[in-house]
Amino acid sequence: MKLNRRTLLAAVSTVALVAAPFAAVAQELPRNVRMVIGSKSTGGDTYQNSAIVAEALSDHLGINVKVDAVGASAAFKALDRDKRGTTIMVFHDQSYLGELYGREGYVDPFANYTVGATVAINPGNAYLVPANSPYDSMEDILTAAANGETVRVAIQPGGVSEIGFSAMKNAAAVRAPGSEKNIVAVNTGSQSDKNQAMWDGLADVINGSIQANEQFTQLEADDQKAMKFVWVTARPGTLEQAPAEGMGGTDRDALLRYASPQTSVTLDGDTDFTFDKEFFFLFNKDMDPAIITQIDDALTEIFAQGDIQERQKSAFFIPNFLPSDEAQKHLTDKRDTYGKVISQIQGDS
Amino acid sequence: MGFLTDVTIDFERSHLIFPTIIACVLAVLGLAILVRDRHRIAGAGAYWSGVLGRMDKMRFFGTLVLTLLYFSLMVPVGMIWPNTGMGFLLCSIPFVFLSGLLFMHDRTVRNIVPVAIVSLVAPPFVWWLFTYPFFLTLP
Amino acid sequence: MLELITPLFLTLIVGGTIVGIIFGSIPGMTATMAVAVCLPITYSLGLENGLALLLGLYVGGISGGLVPAILLGIPGTPSSITTTLDGYPMAQRGEGEKALRIGIVSSFVGGLISLLVLWLFAPTLADFAIKFSYVEKFLIIFFALTVMAALSSDLLMGIFSGFLGIFVALIGTYDISNGGNGKMRLIPPGTEYWMEDGFSLLPVLIGLFGLAAIFDQAEIGVPRGHSRDELRVKGTSTFSLSVFRGQIVNLVRSSGIGTFVGILPGVGGSAASILAYSNAKTFSKHPERFGKGEPAGIIASESGNNGLTGGALVPLLSLGIPGDSTTALLIGAFTLQGIQVGPLFIGNNPDTWNAMIFAMLIANIAMFVLMYVAIRYFALVVTIPKHILFPVILMMCVIGAYTINYGIMFDVWTLLIFGIAGWLFIKLRLEVAPFIIGFILGPSAEVYFVKSLESFGDVTIFFTKSWIAALLWVLIAGSLAGSLILSRRTGRTAPE
Repeated sequence: MKLNRRTLLAAVSTVALVAAPFAAVAQELPRNVRMVIGSKSTGGDTYQNSAIVAEALSDHLGINVKVDAVGASAAFKALDRDKRGTTIMVFHDQSYLGELYGREGYVDPFANYTVGATVAINPGNAYLVPANSPYDSMEDILTAAANGETVRVAIQPGGVSEIGFSAMKNAAAVRAPGSEKNIVAVNTGSQSDKNQAMWDGLADVINGSIQANEQFTQLEADDQKAMKFVWVTARPGTLEQAPAEGMGGTDRDALLRYASPQTSVTLDGDTDFTFDKEFFFLFNKDMDPAIITQIDDALTEIFAQGDIQERQKSAFFIPNFLPSDEAQKHLTDKRDTYGKVISQIQGDS
Repeated sequence: MGFLTDVTIDFERSHLIFPTIIACVLAVLGLAILVRDRHRIAGAGAYWSGVLGRMDKMRFFGTLVLTLLYFSLMVPVGMIWPNTGMGFLLCSIPFVFLSGLLFMHDRTVRNIVPVAIVSLVAPPFVWWLFTYPFFLTLP
Repeated sequence: MLELITPLFLTLIVGGTIVGIIFGSIPGMTATMAVAVCLPITYSLGLENGLALLLGLYVGGISGGLVPAILLGIPGTPSSITTTLDGYPMAQRGEGEKALRIGIVSSFVGGLISLLVLWLFAPTLADFAIKFSYVEKFLIIFFALTVMAALSSDLLMGIFSGFLGIFVALIGTYDISNGGNGKMRLIPPGTEYWMEDGFSLLPVLIGLFGLAAIFDQAEIGVPRGHSRDELRVKGTSTFSLSVFRGQIVNLVRSSGIGTFVGILPGVGGSAASILAYSNAKTFSKHPERFGKGEPAGIIASESGNNGLTGGALVPLLSLGIPGDSTTALLIGAFTLQGIQVGPLFIGNNPDTWNAMIFAMLIANIAMFVLMYVAIRYFALVVTIPKHILFPVILMMCVIGAYTINYGIMFDVWTLLIFGIAGWLFIKLRLEVAPFIIGFILGPSAEVYFVKSLESFGDVTIFFTKSWIAALLWVLIAGSLAGSLILSRRTGRTAPE
């Protein structure tokens, strides 16, 4: 009996769905939208962010938005295949950093896709050292490099995890030309691998995040796992919007001490290098621009209501809505800055 | 003994190390199999014609062709109604029915009716389950 | 703590366990997928209730895999591959029900032992786990790979198949998120568009076991009648707990191995049952019976993979690092609620921690009761006529393959490619079990091997790194010697 009712339900909704495409208006998002993301994990920050945005869009526009964690290369391919706006993508700075670092399978997203609105920032990108490290700050690390000491930094190469490392090398070059050679990469993979590289004594500094590593900074100093922050790459303006209680046992003021301007990793001798991991939309190049406008408008209203910000903040994201045109300008500038840093240090080594 | 066992790995080329080692091991093992089983390998032609001779060609190649059609049509059909799983649903019904018929021995009405019912009930149920409660994307 | 245990909390655990068992028992659906599908629901449930649901799904999903493994010879999840090796032969000789009962009891014991370990020793074990660097992890994988030899019916062909599995697994990109350099290799020219990420495990697995079995049946004309006429589920040999007599050591050892593999981040869940199985065979008085329907094989495999469940939570809750692909999703459940997981988690959140332990306990009990009661219904599967069962299995395999990576059509084609490959394997006398084990362990073997050399720059490091490494070499040597002696004794090396 139950089975029959379900079947009936399926049949009815089938009829409704078959009828749907003929009723849809061309310039709008279709009734069923697939949001592909550049990550394969449904437990990670990209997924969480996208899920928050997808849910808000679904409710606001009365459509279905499904988030599919297909990973970067499959997501870009899915976007390539679909000009109708039935597939949209959300990803972060990796989308252009992959290309800047010359990773296989990455193309320039600004030229090959349309970059849309930004929605949020994950302010967590950080660098840490063991609790018993002789280095206490970036100043110590860069000074050590200038004095000829080799500093090994565990990163995952080719993207978000490497950009802060590139900035360190760049800062070393600005401060003491030639000393950038003393900052060397230890190429690892996941956060677990990076932590392990530290505990194995293979790395002096590791890339990590406020969210994943904060508790390690709260351990007793004699615990072999204990760490301390040396750098949080976020812009100070971003961190200031974080909840005052910060994360775990480290409040916002403490976090601010590890970020510019209190912790300075220079970009060019005058300004500090900063990096915020921003999440933004990507669309097929030939998609109807009216859809982008529709999403911009919907997001403007959603962010004006203010509920989404609460949700983002509760998961330690910083709300950061910029409509498409502003987002494009902002992200292109950002890309150009990082492009210069990367090409300079690659030219040097 | 240090310098004899020292290795330096160039990260940029490190993706080739393990495949090379495995390929070498495979080559050695393959060679060993060639030598050991040379008589069996020499008789491969007769072996395969025997396999083909005994094979139920209609069912074997029928399954292959149906599966190929099923997989190839799913995406194009799905593209007509994007992101609704229609490609899966509309292709699964005839696939389940036709392959059921193909595998069946006595194609009497008494036997065909259950297959028809299953092919009309199972795919929509599965489609409904994955599209609504599980909220997954189907072709 | 007590106020957390509400009727809703209990209902969610049991409900999660039921859904998990269903996912696990459908070929192509996995525990990971069950958790992924339900993760978004947990946001509105709150942390403890959400975890109750997810842990139920996890325990149920890992356990459900034994059902199709035993009854159909198709592993429901990657971690039940070794269950097929002895479970299916038992089912074929009319001991399906007995095999299911053995599997369920072993799963239950494995789950409880690992839960006990989790509860008592989590932080201590996490400190031990971080002593395992690339070198030790490579040796663990190498040790697991030696099972290829143990599983071969023809040693040379079996090892060749295993290395072929490793080779096929290396096709695609040297995965940057595991520490690779993101470069592609071994991809046939012209297929880069599809092959960039290589073949996914799940479609390869269900292609080799599920589709290949259907092709095999089609070749011989799908003999009429029920799917396994010869399979009398209620056979002459009935189940009693005396099966476990003399198996206590095996049960505890396998549960322990499963738990330990779970504790080591990055070794991978499927390695648990593989290692447990190979150890059971090495230490058995009758290793020659393994693979032909030996209850000890099912005991090892099922207590091993359920032992994983508690183990995999150790690094998650005491380092913030997941022990397998399913627990990686659990991190999402915590961060969704704004809860940090890391070395301070247990101390800072004692109530949540106790609720989790309690949820795991209930989930294991629920799994045991539900599956035990459901055996007669599971067994109905084999009474369905083949011409109805096969098309439906194939359809489920398609769903499993398509949804495993959230909608990649190439995964469906992978299913067909490996369905045909699996059929060819039988004809060419290549062996499927060593192949799939090579395929599963290949990528980790690569990363840990290359990274060991990259980090330490000396091949002797594999022998000199630590006492753990030395111990692992002893185990590897023991396992290899065992396979060789057995192979000599039974004269398997000469198949002709």
